[in-house]
Amino acid sequence: MDNKPNLNSIKPAAFAGMMGRRLKAIATSSAAPVRDLYDYPANRLARELHPSKQYLRVAAIEAHSDDMKTYTLVPDKEKGTAALAWFSAGQYLVIALKVGGKACSRPYSISSSPAETLEGRYRLTIKRVADGTVSNHILDTWTVGTSVLASAPMGDFTYEPLRDAKTVVGVAGGSGITPFYAFAKAIAEGEEDFNLTILYGSRTLEDAVFSEEIKALAAACPRLRLVNVLSDVSKKPKDAEKGFITAALIKKYAPENEPYSVFLCGPQAMYNFVDKELEGLGLRRKFIRHELFGEYFHPENDAAYPENVAESFQLTVRIAGKSQTVACPRDTSLLRAMEAAGINAPADCRSGRCGWCHSQLISGEVFVPASVDGRRQADKLYGYIHPCCTFPLSDVVIDVPPLPYK
Amino acid sequence: MNQYDVIVVGAGNGGLVAACSVAKAGYKTLLLEKHNLPGGCATSFVRGRFEFEAALHELCDTSTSPEADSVKKIFERLGVSVPLESEETLFRAVCPGEDGFDVRLRTGYDNFLADMEAAVPGCHDSVKALLDLNNVLDDAQDYMAGGSMNPAVLISKYPDFVRAASSSTDQVMNALGIPKKAQQILATYWGYLGVPTDDLNCLHYLSLLAAFVNSAPTMPRHRSHELSLDLVRVFQENGGEIRYNSEVTRFLYDKGACVGVAAGGDVFYAKKIVSNIIPNNVFNRSPADAVGKRDRKLANARELGMTFITFYIGLDAPMEELGIDDYSVFIMNDPDNRKQYNHRLDFGMYVVNCLNKVLPNASPEGTSMLFFTLPIMPGDLPEDLTAQTYKKFKNEFAEKYIRDYERVMGVQIMDHIEELVIATPVTFARYLATPDGCIYGYSNARWDSVVARTVAEPMELRIPNLYFCGGHSVRGDGYPSAYITGAMAADKVIKALKEGK
Repeated sequence: MDNKPNLNSIKPAAFAGMMGRRLKAIATSSAAPVRDLYDYPANRLARELHPSKQYLRVAAIEAHSDDMKTYTLVPDKEKGTAALAWFSAGQYLVIALKVGGKACSRPYSISSSPAETLEGRYRLTIKRVADGTVSNHILDTWTVGTSVLASAPMGDFTYEPLRDAKTVVGVAGGSGITPFYAFAKAIAEGEEDFNLTILYGSRTLEDAVFSEEIKALAAACPRLRLVNVLSDVSKKPKDAEKGFITAALIKKYAPENEPYSVFLCGPQAMYNFVDKELEGLGLRRKFIRHELFGEYFHPENDAAYPENVAESFQLTVRIAGKSQTVACPRDTSLLRAMEAAGINAPADCRSGRCGWCHSQLISGEVFVPASVDGRRQADKLYGYIHPCCTFPLSDVVIDVPPLPYK
Repeated sequence: MNQYDVIVVGAGNGGLVAACSVAKAGYKTLLLEKHNLPGGCATSFVRGRFEFEAALHELCDTSTSPEADSVKKIFERLGVSVPLESEETLFRAVCPGEDGFDVRLRTGYDNFLADMEAAVPGCHDSVKALLDLNNVLDDAQDYMAGGSMNPAVLISKYPDFVRAASSSTDQVMNALGIPKKAQQILATYWGYLGVPTDDLNCLHYLSLLAAFVNSAPTMPRHRSHELSLDLVRVFQENGGEIRYNSEVTRFLYDKGACVGVAAGGDVFYAKKIVSNIIPNNVFNRSPADAVGKRDRKLANARELGMTFITFYIGLDAPMEELGIDDYSVFIMNDPDNRKQYNHRLDFGMYVVNCLNKVLPNASPEGTSMLFFTLPIMPGDLPEDLTAQTYKKFKNEFAEKYIRDYERVMGVQIMDHIEELVIATPVTFARYLATPDGCIYGYSNARWDSVVARTVAEPMELRIPNLYFCGGHSVRGDGYPSAYITGAMAADKVIKALKEGK
């Protein structure tokens, strides 16, 4: 007798029945075409949240000044966008257009609230900037009725309740107020659940667009507060601060005995200044969140930039098997060089973060500033780059994914 | 110009291995990928100062152990060379409560048996019998690898193989007299296959269990994105051409045979097409008359397999400081895995991985990362979920499970969350474009076990020139299965091309 554990109690003949069950299951099922992918709820919701493109139209324009306008964008049903994608306050749209026949794109924070998408509108507030090819083009050419090609909402400058403190001190500079306007509305509408005190830096009160609107929201919503911080005034105005957004000022408006998060959105000079100030506050890193840095200029000023780099190089771009060689000055990102040559390459955040421009470096030496190097570790090992924040140090050959066709 | 020997559709794990294999055999190969990255699930993403592994829990069959088999051989044959770090503890299984357990099992035949015996005294011999059954299976599989599958021969020569192949895991464990608690612990990996062990094919489960017992689980040093990029390197070094952002929107046919695809506004032709994408998507992109009635009925009969809710968490404290000791912890609210499955949206069973245990430098100094995996099924998301309620749903779900993890493990992590990304079937539907965001394709439950798939393979999915690989194929779920079916599809393609078919 065999006392070892064994399988003798199982009949091997059951094997034969296995195929019978399969054949029966197949025989009794429908021969109709298989279910459409977007008939499945998860796929439908994924497409609703992240459409590959949104076709929009300018429905209204509000001029805050000659140099700053808010555009109301509505779905262009004729082109196939029936409804706007939902978003989280703080997210942006990437607008793709052509300037002088050359394709380019820029991210713009949505200044409307998520609830407004249900009413069929996004609002983008755009400010004129020196050498701002796209922004200036928009301000000069968009009229009511203009067709606009936009991405789905994207970006992670959002409030996350399991991560962020219950109170956020917002540091806004110039047009960096736009996501905070969306946050403020979302809080007032009950969509977001946190306290927000915005320190809004501008030269004068006249420059501080949306101040009145946000103050009006705050008047009815005790969770909101806006403090103007004015740099170009001779003395401290009533109900506002004079000077810059310093550590002392943040401390003055932050809660005293509880944690708070600091959210920053503004020009690079503001980040550089306020980041230094924040060092003195001893905040944990998790409580400091930045919106996109924006495009990186002047790599030569970076401490890690090598010496004796030539003025300009040849950039060879391969897309879908076709090759083209263009000039790329050393202080120009590979993406900018492609755009200048009329090459339509993928680009969304333009800040090294979103990864949409992910491309393969075939040959050549490049410089990627560490502060905007959002690549995966293996990307660095295997020679993959984000052209939006990569600069040539020699002649360079890259392979760039084509833009998706559709 | 657009004529190739082979076109591979989809650069997931299976597609990458298939593409590398045929390119290495000297065939002009085009690999088309809808995303702008290779790898499919085998990828990673950066948030703040963390780079999160998107999908991989661990590789099996890759270590330096002489027992390591299939995946190691595939990597060696292709010249895939990625530094892998191994982990000695397979998992810790924690089931609170009187009938529960808290067990760590180590890799290695003797260690595993010793740990099982320590956890459930008296179980050693019966558990050993289960592990030893794997040798019988290997012999039978060698026989079948010769291309023959005569049931009569199998039944007479390999009776235990036939028994395991046609039984559920529970049936076999019961027959061997494995004590109940030992069965419950041994069943822990059911969560990787999505089918409770009262239904899960024993041969399938045993091959997974044996792979982990026989060779240490490993992780690539720089997330599975590194594996994907190394496969792309091999592919390109062998003359392969990969095209990203190029979703195949149509499969093209001539006289009933698949002859090409449309992608990115172009058409491409090839003698053979390998699809790493699920047959459902291929059928939907093919003319109705190209797909045989039997294959359509098969696709309609099949149930979609497991999907996940996952949380990727960056913590601003090291694991030691937080009291996290393990790489892989399976937390269960009931020792019975059928009940875990039934309560899968209510703490039934979930896995929490801390990559820093295997790779101390996986995140910056003073930080650590956690990866929560909740196995769920397509259709489990609330029916009333909308774009507007989605984020709240995700956050409430994550909070619930993080609190449960804190309670069960006696740790505190909530206040240390520096980054948090929550993925659901909607996320997987977005990135993988599979029906309802299923990860591996079809469920391995009931009549669609890997054994049934293998036996039926010669009769199914018979579109001329078209081959399939990936989790939806004959080997079922997991990275190794995808790699193996990629290699199998390539072997068939190469054989057919050599024979001029």
